[in-house]
Amino acid sequence: MRRGVVLVGVALIVLAAWAAPGLAQDEGEPDQSEPTVLTGTLRLGFDQFFAGVEITAADESGTRVGQVTTDQDGRWTIEVPAAGDYLVTLNEQTLPEGISLREGHQSTTEATVLQGASRAVVFAVGEAPKGTPFGERAAQTVFNGLKFGLIIAMSAIGLSLIYGTTGLVNFAHGELVTFGAVIAWYFNTSWGGLNLVLAALAAMVVCGLLGAGMETGLFRPLRRKRLWIFQLLVVTIGLSLLGRQLIQLFFGPEPLPYTDFQVQQRWEFGPWAVTPREVVTVVAIIAVLVGAGLVLQFSRFGKATRAVSDNPGLAEASGINVNRVVLWVWVLGTTLAGLGGVFQGLDTDIDPFLGFQLLLLIFAGVELGGFGTAFGALVGSLIIGMSTEVSTLWISPELKFVVPLAALIGMVLLRPQGLFGIKARVG
Amino acid sequence: MPDELTPQADSEQREAALPPADGGVPAIEPAPADGGVPAIEPILTVPHEPGAPKPDPILEVDGLSRSFGGLLAVDVDHLEVQRGATTALIGPNGAGKTTLFNLLSGFERADTGHWSFNGEAVTNPSADGLARKGMIRTFQLTKSLAKLTVIDNVLLGAPRQRGEKLWAAPFPNRWRSQEEANTERAEALLERFNLAHMRDELAGTLSGGQRKLLEVARALMADPVLIMLDEPMAGVNPALAQSLMHHITQLVYEGLSVVFIEHAMDVVTGISDWVVVLAQGQVIAEGPPWKVIHDDQVIDAYLGRRRAGAAR
Amino acid sequence: MDFSIIFGNAARAAFGPEAVILALAAIGLNVHFGYTGLLNIGQVGFLLLGAYGTSVSVATFGWSLWAGVVVGLLLSVAFAVALGIPTLRLNTVMFAMVTIAAAEIIRILIGSTDAIGLTGGPLSVSFDAGAFYDLNPYPDGPHDRYGIGTFEFTGQQLWVITVGWLLVALVTAGVVMLVRSPWGRVLKSIREDQDAARSLGKNVFSYKMQALVIGGAIGGMGGVIDAIKTSGADPNGFRPQVTFFAYTALLLGGSATYLGPVLGAVLFWFLREWIESFLRQIVEEAWLPDVVAEFFDGAEGVISVAMVGVALILLMLLRPQGIVGNRTEMQLDAR
Ligand SMILES: Nc1ncnc2c1ncn2[C@@H]1O[C@H](COP(=O)(O)OP(=O)(O)OP(=O)(O)O)[C@@H](O)[C@H]1O
Ligand SMILES: [Mg+2]
Repeated sequence: MRRGVVLVGVALIVLAAWAAPGLAQDEGEPDQSEPTVLTGTLRLGFDQFFAGVEITAADESGTRVGQVTTDQDGRWTIEVPAAGDYLVTLNEQTLPEGISLREGHQSTTEATVLQGASRAVVFAVGEAPKGTPFGERAAQTVFNGLKFGLIIAMSAIGLSLIYGTTGLVNFAHGELVTFGAVIAWYFNTSWGGLNLVLAALAAMVVCGLLGAGMETGLFRPLRRKRLWIFQLLVVTIGLSLLGRQLIQLFFGPEPLPYTDFQVQQRWEFGPWAVTPREVVTVVAIIAVLVGAGLVLQFSRFGKATRAVSDNPGLAEASGINVNRVVLWVWVLGTTLAGLGGVFQGLDTDIDPFLGFQLLLLIFAGVELGGFGTAFGALVGSLIIGMSTEVSTLWISPELKFVVPLAALIGMVLLRPQGLFGIKARVG
Repeated sequence: MPDELTPQADSEQREAALPPADGGVPAIEPAPADGGVPAIEPILTVPHEPGAPKPDPILEVDGLSRSFGGLLAVDVDHLEVQRGATTALIGPNGAGKTTLFNLLSGFERADTGHWSFNGEAVTNPSADGLARKGMIRTFQLTKSLAKLTVIDNVLLGAPRQRGEKLWAAPFPNRWRSQEEANTERAEALLERFNLAHMRDELAGTLSGGQRKLLEVARALMADPVLIMLDEPMAGVNPALAQSLMHHITQLVYEGLSVVFIEHAMDVVTGISDWVVVLAQGQVIAEGPPWKVIHDDQVIDAYLGRRRAGAAR
Repeated sequence: MDFSIIFGNAARAAFGPEAVILALAAIGLNVHFGYTGLLNIGQVGFLLLGAYGTSVSVATFGWSLWAGVVVGLLLSVAFAVALGIPTLRLNTVMFAMVTIAAAEIIRILIGSTDAIGLTGGPLSVSFDAGAFYDLNPYPDGPHDRYGIGTFEFTGQQLWVITVGWLLVALVTAGVVMLVRSPWGRVLKSIREDQDAARSLGKNVFSYKMQALVIGGAIGGMGGVIDAIKTSGADPNGFRPQVTFFAYTALLLGGSATYLGPVLGAVLFWFLREWIESFLRQIVEEAWLPDVVAEFFDGAEGVISVAMVGVALILLMLLRPQGIVGNRTEMQLDAR
């Protein structure tokens, strides 16, 4: 999932296997070099992995061929002696409290494995229906939603402002978010092992510089060349691919955590059980957003930004240096996006797809609020974050991203200009 | 949302607006389509007042309004457009002329009101549906199809093309003869508008004035019953504008009805039979050009002193 | 360094089944975007439905492969209609958002554990495509190989790509016949300015729908070929990136040209595999410092996809019209 192996990526590996001289093999011919294994990952949604759960495999006659417990990433692997059908059983007693097999799913499933192949076996687990009362779970998801919505909002503001001032829909915005998370990780670990707060500040500076560089080095010249909007869109898609791959190249595909604030005792506030980290995340983002809001509302820069969004030509004519405004919009936008990445990384660990996974949600938030308005982006993002998390009260967490995407579609259909946008003149 | 116009309401409306079929208005026949008698004469009998009923209206508008935010852009109480005549729609910038066109041609939804076109109530206005019924409009900001050739631009206008149906499209034998006839007609139009030498160029390479002409040619290609031109002469050189006007007059003789928006008064007086003046969304005056352009109210509207007359 | 291996690999990718699939996806996009101006960035959804329609029909419902193919195509048509009815009136960017969101929703739903019984969920679904391979006219013994050097295919592979490229040829011919007609002229007019088309009496919605369905069904064919080729389908194979690759192919070849999408797809795979093989050779040859070689080792695929990004950017900056596109046409867009 996280590795984001795409169709073509898979195919590429297949092709590579054909291509390597001497390795070409006939279909179906057993490959002695690889062990024959049953494997799987026990997880809930995208971010919960269950360790220490007992898995047993037996052959068709019922003879046990292997037993393991899942590792801390929820992974398990059982090597079996030969190809064939096996019965794989999960010991429900060993599941963590509050977690059980999903309704309608058996603890034993049958799996067929080929010689030299690795066969994935999935057990569908979910939160146990009983246990925590609904009210408490609801309160918890609302908090999670608030946190997630704030992270999206922080990342979305840049996208919205850049769209507002230049008309650019930046598909590479997700990679800016990832970039912030990854740079902070480097500062936090290999580059001097800074405390995460310092690392985040350093990452914000680097992101701001990157934003300034992208604007002056790429997008400003492109605006001057008066590229068609579609060409710009494709350029950002190219940048997004390039950025993601480069991050993957250096950072690697595996999710990694920051060194600080990992294991924390949860604080209990009434129905809420939250870690100090989460509280800090929420408070810090609110503070930053309020600051950004004040700047955008009352400073000369903010007013100039609105003037440029309204009508760049007119703003230029009335003495506003449009390029400078756009430059600062980029700096502000990328800085916030990078910081959003740090908070998201703190929440779910950092991987090269962190931002891309957020991108559609950011789009959803921005669209919901109305393209081009910072305030709209904030409200839209909060709604998106909230609905995503709260939906897990009723639907499986695996499906929770369906909700914001559906909200995006619904909004586009019902009120394409968004909650706070203005309808454009036709004809 | 526009008021859905029920057929009954419409027929009542028409009866109220129209003189009885057996008399009332001098029995002047509308011009025959082959163009013997000029069609402008009936208009001479119409009183010079806003909302005046016409003997043979092609377009009848009632209670039409549209606002943007707090701004009431169009608020037309009653308006009729005479068939077979050239009607000019004038008014200061922002008067709502283009918006009125947009509403009538189905490009924008009216807040209230209904209208009928060619004797038929417009119940569910859709831009393409109205166009297929013969109401063809052009745009103030020209919409030339940049990456189509000039000839393709004009050919696109041709109505009822067999080759535009998906199932016939892959079989040229099903549509080639019609396409050839259309091409001939299109070429004649290009000739008329001095665009023949640009026939196979991409429309995007044309100059602004040429695009205006191309758009008019394309609209004429569509066999309109009523053609609505939004500032067709803007940016066209005087000689060519002259020829365009001449061409339009010619078509009116042949039975076409024309409404055009124009700011240049010499053009208005030159070709229009009737002038409708719009200011702040409302029809403030109607009449023949020689009368209207001397109307105090009109002059005030243009100079932005609507109430000056009353104050004096 | 053995360039014959590199070129062999690249050629094999350029003519292999992946290029067929990409070409079909890109031809579909050419109908959507190139001719009609519909910025569909959820093309992968059509491929997904083609592939899963086929796979699930056979694997879960036990229908014949041919019935599965029909189901796959019908599903992609149905998706086009369902997507089109509410969205075709939207502007370009909004339409784009809905397409990518809709494709992602389908992928998430199909790949969820709740869907295991139907689609295999996060596991891939696999089925027996024997009915297709039974028709294979090429001898397919364990030692039968076709081609030279590393540019070689087994009998089964050759059969897939024969059928695949024939399909590409047929579809291309069909699209050419369509867009040359007055029908195609209407599509192009909608791309240029839909209000102009509407003002001339063209039912823009209906034409867009026709284009969406045709292009979607062509994408669905790509999905069907994919399902047959791999005897199954996997939700991870249908991420948004696939659409972007198809756009890369289309833009590389030239949007709104007859052969652009096909040439683009071939070139796309040729270049990607060339880069990857080249890097692999460098690593194997070991004449680079160990640090560098280690860095590249295993990262060949990552780098070649990064190059796709670079190619997209350069293409838009230097030759936005693609290989066979027309420069002046492209410049008109800027006006
Ligand atoms: N989509 C829209 N949104 C907001 N306001 C609009 C819209 N369309 C028109 N208006 C407003 O309605 C008023 C009338 O506009 P319209 O374009 O109809 O004027 P016009 O008479 O055609 O002017 P001109 O002679 O300058 O072309 C203007 O004040 C304009 O700003
Ligand atoms: Mg106007």
